[in-house]
Amino acid sequence: MKFVIRLKTIEEITELISLGADVFLVDTPLAVKKVGLEMYDFLETIFSYGKEVYLLVNKMIHEEDVDMLTKILLVAKDDRITGVVAGDLTVMVKAKELGIATKIIYQPGTMNTNSFDNEYFFLKEIKGITISKEITLEEITKIFTVKKTELSLVGHGFIDMFYSKRKLLTNYFIFKNIVRENIRENPNFRLNEEMRKDSYYPIFEDNGGTHVFRNLALESFDEVEGLRKALDDFFIERIFIGDEEYYDSLKVYNNKMSREEFLEKYQGKYNKGFFYQYTEKLKGELDEN
Amino acid sequence: MKIELLSPAGSLEKAKIALLYGADAVYIGGKQFSLRARASNFDLSMIKELVDFAHGLGKKVYITMNIVFHDDDISGLDEYLIYLDEIKVDAIICSSMIVIERAKALTNLEIHLSTQFSVTNSLLANYFFHEGVKRVVLARELSLTEIKEIKDKSLADLEIFIHGGMCVSYSGRCTLSNYTVLRDANRGGCAHTCRWLYDLFENDRKISDNHDFQMSSKDLEATEFVKDLLDMNISSLKIEGRMKSVHYIATVVSAYRMLIDDYYHGVLRDISFYQNEIKKAENRQTSYGFFKGDTTPEQQLYNQRSEVPTKEFVGMVMGYDKSKNLLEIEQRNYFAPGDMLEIFTPDKTIVTFKVKNIFNQDDEVLDAARHPLQLVKLPLALSIPKFSMVRKVKYD
Repeated sequence: MKFVIRLKTIEEITELISLGADVFLVDTPLAVKKVGLEMYDFLETIFSYGKEVYLLVNKMIHEEDVDMLTKILLVAKDDRITGVVAGDLTVMVKAKELGIATKIIYQPGTMNTNSFDNEYFFLKEIKGITISKEITLEEITKIFTVKKTELSLVGHGFIDMFYSKRKLLTNYFIFKNIVRENIRENPNFRLNEEMRKDSYYPIFEDNGGTHVFRNLALESFDEVEGLRKALDDFFIERIFIGDEEYYDSLKVYNNKMSREEFLEKYQGKYNKGFFYQYTEKLKGELDEN
Repeated sequence: MKIELLSPAGSLEKAKIALLYGADAVYIGGKQFSLRARASNFDLSMIKELVDFAHGLGKKVYITMNIVFHDDDISGLDEYLIYLDEIKVDAIICSSMIVIERAKALTNLEIHLSTQFSVTNSLLANYFFHEGVKRVVLARELSLTEIKEIKDKSLADLEIFIHGGMCVSYSGRCTLSNYTVLRDANRGGCAHTCRWLYDLFENDRKISDNHDFQMSSKDLEATEFVKDLLDMNISSLKIEGRMKSVHYIATVVSAYRMLIDDYYHGVLRDISFYQNEIKKAENRQTSYGFFKGDTTPEQQLYNQRSEVPTKEFVGMVMGYDKSKNLLEIEQRNYFAPGDMLEIFTPDKTIVTFKVKNIFNQDDEVLDAARHPLQLVKLPLALSIPKFSMVRKVKYD
């Protein structure tokens, strides 16, 4: 299993490698929820460190994005780029046209929830799929038993719950007649719901729209050894996490720091997401499809 | 090709009303595999009854199977698909690969891809066409220009939402409900967490006032754009709302039916006519969604206010006794002698009259129709067809 790491600056590459980074996931012009500078412009430098590089293309692809998608995928033909992480299945379709479908890791966030998806995408001859974020460890383990394509998981960090095309922060400030700058890609906005006083949900607006995240980050310190048996890639997310904290998490996953020390140091910031939490199917209402 | 007007239906009664009031097809959820867990979903015998009813009118029934399947949801899928094929359901609407593949393997069912997959471009629409999908329900995040561009390049038939509630998130990509209340939004459990009231903070500084940060959107109302969609030869125009009342279904379907037919017949009225018809039903505030491009505060719902319908639904006609000139009405809301009522028939005729007397089933005089679902009788000299809607006319 490889640790897939988000890169903020060129200067930190050596340290990240020493902490166990196997793959660098690099933001592209069609990435959303970026973590810092667009490292896409520094690919040659990143290649020079000899580690694997994946490109991140997780924006929903509209017609106007197709030309840029083609440009990115032509870059991805380079043998030194070993994966393209795709949020929208369109990326796979275009990659197939260009003969590089075998580099696609389909990571829509929510859609890869059952064993059949693993078989379907195996037959499409892509690199692999990222198992969805809202299923239990028991369900994940069941998918492992019939594994055919490469499997991955976003196993650490702040996980988004919501991706809207609407510019919800910009629109709100207009509604309130508040003139302000620095809305886009500002990591400091949070939502608090009236009935959940202690929960603050990060909200982040970028070129793709607006993203709302869980109030607590996910950690898989206890689970990672079990996951290692079947996962090919383990993504460690970085958005809203400080550099020291991010490096510390890598240390834990690579046995250079104890989980107890980490959780003591970053008390109250992490949970186990849906690993042990089954969600109900019923009681819903409204919204139509 | 004439465009299809597609209506939601949360019950057999609503489905029949939708078809009678002008829908060319209805979409419904079965007891399993459908996102509207709280809609009065149909059991197998009800689905068959509706299919037979619709086919008798030359109309269609589509079955939604648009949950995102987990492994423990798969049991019974094959048998269900085979049954739907046997009773000649016209199409299934789905978003999981397993449903598409099993339907292809076991049945001749027509397959429509749900908006849950959020298809936003022609490349993906064509991919699914080659995978055996006949129709793609496009994402609601598309402008009219984008829809036209996709239509020009698409091999698949296209279906467009024109009216009703909208996910604020790209559909199928939201787990707000999962995380906040442990109800799976993609398996029928959506708790509408996006419509809750929030405060906005920047670091520790509160920016909002009294929970006025809301993500909620106004409902979609696309009367202004129907003409363009007709010109594009889109296959189907879809109304949202399997949870809505019979009156809402009848009113909204009827308004869009008139709009479409008037356009085809070259007698289109001012768009405000159709908009005013829609306003007679209960509604949240509406806007045009993404049809003009990126949304603005105009498309957001910041004050939680619902529009007040211009007409109150008070009952549905269940029969007419020609020998006694008595109209039989199933009561839905209070009305009394002296009220002005408006009857709205499936063929769009409107009859207005003042209530003089109200009788119960034993021919006793009532001072008012007070009880929901009570059958009451009103004298009226004009024969009115069954399933006509009765509304109270309000005066300011």
